[in-house]
Amino acid sequence: MNGVDKGRCGEDLAVAFLLDRGYRILNRNWRVKSGEIDIIAEINGWLVFCEVKSRSSLCYGSGAEAVDGRKQQRIIRTAMLYLQRYHRFNNLCRFDVIEILMSAPDHPELRHIKNAFGA
Amino acid sequence: MFAKTIGAGVFGLNGVLLTVEVDISNGIPALDIVGLPDTAVRESKERVKAAIRNSGYEFPCRRITVNLAPADLKKDGSGLDLPIALGILAAAGQVGEVDFESIAFVGELSLDAHVREIAGVLPMAMMCREQGVKAMIVPAGNAPEARVVDHVRIIAVDSLSMVLAVLRGESQGITEEGDATPPGAVNRTEGKTDDFRDVQGQFAAKRALEIAAAGGHNLLMSGPPGAGKTMLARRIPSILPPMTMDEALEVSKIYSVAGLLGSTGALMSHRPFRSPHHTVSAAAMAGGGRIPRPGEVTLAHHGVLFLDELPEFPRQVLEVLRQPIEDGQVTVARVSSSYTYPSLFMLIGSMNPCPCGFSGDPSHECCCSDMEIKRYLRRISGPLMDRIDMNVTVPRLKYEDMAGGHEAEPSSVIALRVSAARERQSHRLADTRIFCNAQMSHRQLQENCHISSEAQSLLRAVFEKMKLNARSYDRIIKVAQTIADLARSEEITAVHMAEAVQLRLSIAR
Repeated sequence: MNGVDKGRCGEDLAVAFLLDRGYRILNRNWRVKSGEIDIIAEINGWLVFCEVKSRSSLCYGSGAEAVDGRKQQRIIRTAMLYLQRYHRFNNLCRFDVIEILMSAPDHPELRHIKNAFGA
Repeated sequence: MFAKTIGAGVFGLNGVLLTVEVDISNGIPALDIVGLPDTAVRESKERVKAAIRNSGYEFPCRRITVNLAPADLKKDGSGLDLPIALGILAAAGQVGEVDFESIAFVGELSLDAHVREIAGVLPMAMMCREQGVKAMIVPAGNAPEARVVDHVRIIAVDSLSMVLAVLRGESQGITEEGDATPPGAVNRTEGKTDDFRDVQGQFAAKRALEIAAAGGHNLLMSGPPGAGKTMLARRIPSILPPMTMDEALEVSKIYSVAGLLGSTGALMSHRPFRSPHHTVSAAAMAGGGRIPRPGEVTLAHHGVLFLDELPEFPRQVLEVLRQPIEDGQVTVARVSSSYTYPSLFMLIGSMNPCPCGFSGDPSHECCCSDMEIKRYLRRISGPLMDRIDMNVTVPRLKYEDMAGGHEAEPSSVIALRVSAARERQSHRLADTRIFCNAQMSHRQLQENCHISSEAQSLLRAVFEKMKLNARSYDRIIKVAQTIADLARSEEITAVHMAEAVQLRLSIAR
């Protein structure tokens, strides 16, 4: 399994997790020039922009740590483009981070950080 | 969703009321503060967020815009945390119906939602009274100073949740302990200060200090090391007259803005005594900084500025004193704005007569060359010397004086004479905004001082003989007036005038 596959696998896990909790998935890997949003979901009128970070060990720090200020700005810029494209500027918005630690192959640990950051 | 609260800031020495407008809308969650906030205000974002969460309320995950009006005034300090937090809670509909028009909030928030003390609450409360704001919520530690102001209901709080309880009518805040504004607070603290009783001999110097304290005049003491110059100066606070209510308010305002008021006292109870070290910078002396803060001359307002070892001060720092001494105020101009601070102080200086210290001493040989002495004395410029009303020599004590065992006059006795003299002055100057002889203008001098014809002719003779200037003329009369006040005389007689002339012209250097 290479890096891309691992990431893909983590995102699948995250999608399953969100669906399980009643989220409606609108887009996956929504990509424009300025960046990409892993999952765009909707629940109770809130538009949720989700960043998924997978790690197989903690050698390089936790997944959530990797979403630093620069990454946040990139996601926020991309989210603005999304809101503009679909005329949803007046929607309630939220930015979540889902980190997945796959230290053992069968026991992925998943952590959902709601409203992780804002502009 | 929109809400408006009232906060307060400080501009120079005056409070200003600021309007904090908060708008919450949907969209990407963000908290933006506009309206010229400086760093401390911009950082309040994080404190407000944490404080709201940690007091059990919800920080709205929306787009929040905070506007501080008037928009053209630079906002500094952390006192806006509280009005911003309340504006956000109100706009999010978590406060209920509150009349935010009649209540002002000041205070810094900690991350655990405690309300911390800030500087400058006294002038802010004064501005609330002026603008008709009925109530003010302040940090508990600032409540004593705020309660000095009447007609404004002061509510002391220690946490954000207490503020909300007060707004819901469930709490009265922290009620005051004891009497917050005892009129007696304007009195001197007794017993703690050094006493003139400990100073043997030095009658000329003591007499000069008594006159200086009574009239607010400037004095320079000169003498060999160890003669007791610093010892004498340290005892000046013990004979200064008590402050009037107006003086105490002015001084307290300055100390409130400088953050030096302390939480114990409501008002400054005794006159300030400032003795900056001679390494002080010009900006620290006059007031300065990008957003100017009051300097030593302002902190010594209505009190004493004591400069020990006067010639050791950098020339630039001494020259900075010229305007404050003459005008009683100092204007600090910066690109953004200019601030005027009051600076009516009495200057007390001390110095040695020469680098080795023994020039003019009968029992020691001075080992300095004429050139060295000249250079040493030149460090104090002529214009500055011209502003010093009295020169007095503090000689080395003789053994009999020192070990005589008889107790010198205690400060309390001197203080009585000084207060009586100051009372005569304030009675005479009742219609004006000044408090002592040294503050009289030339016109007030002519209106208020009655000089006997003998004294007149004495002064004329001295003026012509010594080629005095106009400033010397005014200053001699002011000192003579104080001497007359100490002697309970309605008129300045030749004796009073002679002493004033002698004090001014004696060469202490």
